[in-house]
Amino acid sequence: MTRFNTRKMTILVQDPSVRIAGRLVFAQIDLPYEDLAPGPVGYRVRVVDFDASANALYAPFHPMPDRDGVPQDKYAYTGPDTDAKACKAWENQLLADPAFHAQNVYAIVMRTLGLFEFALGRRVAWGFEGHQLYVAPHAFLEANAFYSEEDKALMFGYFDSAKTNKRVFTCLSHDIVAHETTHALLDGVRDGFTTPSTPDQAAFHEGFADVVALLSVFSLPKAVELALTGGKPSKLENRIRLIPAAQVSTKAILNSMLLGLGKEFGASLDDEGVRADCLRRSAQIEPDPGLLQSARYEEPHERGELFAAAVLRSFVALWSSRIEAQGKFGRSDYNLDLVIDAGASAAANLLTMAIRALDYCPPIDLTFNAYLSALLTADSEVAPDDTKYGYRQRLKDSFASFGILPPEKGTDPDSGCWLPFANDAAIVYQRNHAASMLYDKEEVFRFVWENRRALGLDDRGYLRICSVRPSTRTGPDGFSLRETVCEYLQVFDIFGAEAKATLGMERPQGMPSTQRITAYGGGIIIFDQFGRIKYHIEHRLDDTARQAARLEYLWRTGQLNAQQDGRNQFSNLHRSRAMA
Amino acid sequence: MAKAPIQLTIFAYQVGFGDCFLLRFTYPKEVRHILIDFGTTGLSVDAENDQMLKIAKDIAERCGQQLDAVVATHRHADHISGFATRADGAGSGDIIRQLKPKVVIQPWTEQLDLARDATAPTGHAGFTAALSTMHAVAENVVSFLNNRAQGLDDKLADQLRFIGEDNLSNKSAVKNLATMGDEQRYIFHGSPSGLEDLLPGVTTHVLGPPTLEQTDTIRKQRSRDPNEFWQLQLRGLQADAAADVKSKLAPAFPDHIQAKGGKLPLNARWLANRIRKARGEQFLGLVRALDKQMNNTSVILLFETARKKILFPGDAQIENWRYALDQEAIRTMLEDVDVYKVGHHGSLNATPRSMWDKFSKKGKPKDKNRMTSVLSTRTGKHGSEKSNTEVPRTTLLKELAAQTHLHSTHTLPSGSLCEEIVIPL
Repeated sequence: MTRFNTRKMTILVQDPSVRIAGRLVFAQIDLPYEDLAPGPVGYRVRVVDFDASANALYAPFHPMPDRDGVPQDKYAYTGPDTDAKACKAWENQLLADPAFHAQNVYAIVMRTLGLFEFALGRRVAWGFEGHQLYVAPHAFLEANAFYSEEDKALMFGYFDSAKTNKRVFTCLSHDIVAHETTHALLDGVRDGFTTPSTPDQAAFHEGFADVVALLSVFSLPKAVELALTGGKPSKLENRIRLIPAAQVSTKAILNSMLLGLGKEFGASLDDEGVRADCLRRSAQIEPDPGLLQSARYEEPHERGELFAAAVLRSFVALWSSRIEAQGKFGRSDYNLDLVIDAGASAAANLLTMAIRALDYCPPIDLTFNAYLSALLTADSEVAPDDTKYGYRQRLKDSFASFGILPPEKGTDPDSGCWLPFANDAAIVYQRNHAASMLYDKEEVFRFVWENRRALGLDDRGYLRICSVRPSTRTGPDGFSLRETVCEYLQVFDIFGAEAKATLGMERPQGMPSTQRITAYGGGIIIFDQFGRIKYHIEHRLDDTARQAARLEYLWRTGQLNAQQDGRNQFSNLHRSRAMA
Repeated sequence: MAKAPIQLTIFAYQVGFGDCFLLRFTYPKEVRHILIDFGTTGLSVDAENDQMLKIAKDIAERCGQQLDAVVATHRHADHISGFATRADGAGSGDIIRQLKPKVVIQPWTEQLDLARDATAPTGHAGFTAALSTMHAVAENVVSFLNNRAQGLDDKLADQLRFIGEDNLSNKSAVKNLATMGDEQRYIFHGSPSGLEDLLPGVTTHVLGPPTLEQTDTIRKQRSRDPNEFWQLQLRGLQADAAADVKSKLAPAFPDHIQAKGGKLPLNARWLANRIRKARGEQFLGLVRALDKQMNNTSVILLFETARKKILFPGDAQIENWRYALDQEAIRTMLEDVDVYKVGHHGSLNATPRSMWDKFSKKGKPKDKNRMTSVLSTRTGKHGSEKSNTEVPRTTLLKELAAQTHLHSTHTLPSGSLCEEIVIPL
């Protein structure tokens, strides 16, 4: 039996069209060690390589047995680096082997899951009943890839590119796999985010998946190197690789993303619409506070790109600030490898922050403004001192440049963070069992019901606890921050005629009095390590302005009575982006 | 001739799921006839087989063997199938052709030589090429359905077939429209309509479709050639649909096959069935996207006389409307519409909520100047109530009936060829 807790797996850093000196770019990543079944099939992922277009099941990946208790990486290149022919043969063999594709996609899904679990400090469930996510690496001949909640699956298509005359497999694109996995994970953390609601919520899934995809790729040093150098050799001085300072300003980094990695980022995938240019578009959108209100950015897939642009520019600003803190060589050069490390580190840190923010987001009717406050609050809890690199200020500035500001109500005007819970004196704790409050929904419901008046809950709605989740994070001081995150929802069914009397709002023009309306309230209660309420982040059921805005938007866009499509929701969204 | 018409009669023909309206503008001493659309994808259940021929003959008789104009709002079969000709020259389209319309009006996207125009902006050439490719995509979807529909349940296959067939190219109708009449006009938002001389006393505003440049002013730049997207879909469909029924598409990894279709191991069957279903639904998503793009090429006309406004928007949906509704002057102009030809057979998205809410002449039955709505549709053909996709939408029908004088072909008595709706001008 091995004593290792992790195993290494070789993956493509980006996709097969991205090369350095003509060679594919691989990275070895660390994943939890597990006793894999052929597929691979592990405790969270089940790869089934069925191709519906060819009506064929491809042979699965078989894990290599450990050697002397040491886990083996089946696809690590072990030939001489100097033998270009051998290397090329190895690469071609991998690309032609569906088992490598299966391992590649498994590894990236597991890596993305690992990023979420690290950030949230707990196991993260998928958004459906069951523990294993199905993954079909070659599901059909189509230039699309999507998460299907109904099928508990990620389905990846493949297609023949007219540009390159080659077959393109979406399962080999690191950012596409990370993007789809994020949909599945976000669905598990916040099930309510796929319910028709606000324009921002409709856009958030796609925007957030873009953010995770981009940052998880950039957290790999080789991806950062590609972005900066385009794979070209750099100046050497005393065996230290150097890069001119002019190439690592904020503007220069954005440009090199467009021209470097952005250009090579799977050319056929971008041009033929699969990836929808998320990297390029995010870097190209010039900050403008008026964009959110413009007609163009009403559509969810366009609106999500604004969110991604705000985060990407924050990343670039953070990276630049870390570079500036380094010393220069001579007057004008930086150590390239330190610059790369700074970029990868900034990406990793920002990704962790972005994921942690989810625990501080309301469970329904999300707005970008609320997400920003969640982001700032989550980070300030873990790292109260932000003076070294100013992460939170740079995030605030970047989001503000796109017109996204913290909400006016419920936040601190200086920091933008959620205000702490201020009514603790009125809360009754002694009727509950502290231990059960850490995990038991019934226990927490009893607590919330007993304290409904102190919490200011409107008891007309049907209240239920959606989740009670632990969260353990380690701050920069090495100490653990332990919280319990409780998510609750209230549902209230009325008719159009009752809108005024019950929620104080006029029903939208043209809405019949007999129109059925479901109003939602909900919130997050964060308990500290002592079981005391730290935050109560709520969307009140009787919040007339929010209910009216939501109702008007859903009525105007014809979504009020629309049934959710658990299979095709993300497939259709991706198609809309591809056609834009 | 007197300078203004005194009456408009709309002959709303019973074409089932489709549109066919003959507009008669009556002047003191003469009349003018405009035919707006003539097509169907599903006649009413009690219609006879030669319904479309009967309608063509009726149009010929009513207009005294002379049409002033034909408007084909867009090239969906349910708007143009009636213009198809027959080899023996006795088709419904042949009859219309013989009426020698002085002008035939279509959206700018129908201009056949646009793709070959070397000086046209790339985007335009790409867009019109995309329309042709979309037809090829539709043909391949129908071919896929006819050859094998494994994994598709009947309901899904029906939906695919319905939308797919509506988007088939109908070359005969397209060619007939492009070659009939004295003059061809291809119009866009803000352009002359071509009816200026034919309808004295009537201002015909062209509110849609917008050109690509007009669209780009509200959506910034278009990032890719639209034809590339449809070409990609077409290649995939052609590969899929052309594969032999028994052998399916050639596997991506022929040397790595563990099992074929009917002999899958237990642990793969659950997902395999679901991927097959998802595949069918992917097709549906694709043809719906295609259908929507085609609807959004629709001509939108607003006829304005001294006292009345009559709106004919074809099947335009919100994307088509957006450019027009972005302008305050046009929003104001639409507020006091007197007659509204309900868009897209009564689907919800074709009547923009913002426009409907602002119609000032909605009202109660006793209101003297209550507006009139005209709808050509057939129930039970498109969508389902369960999924809130039924066409016509029940909620919209209720609003139309409650707030306008609604005339709908789906309520015409059996055997009726058309309803006459008289509008004093």
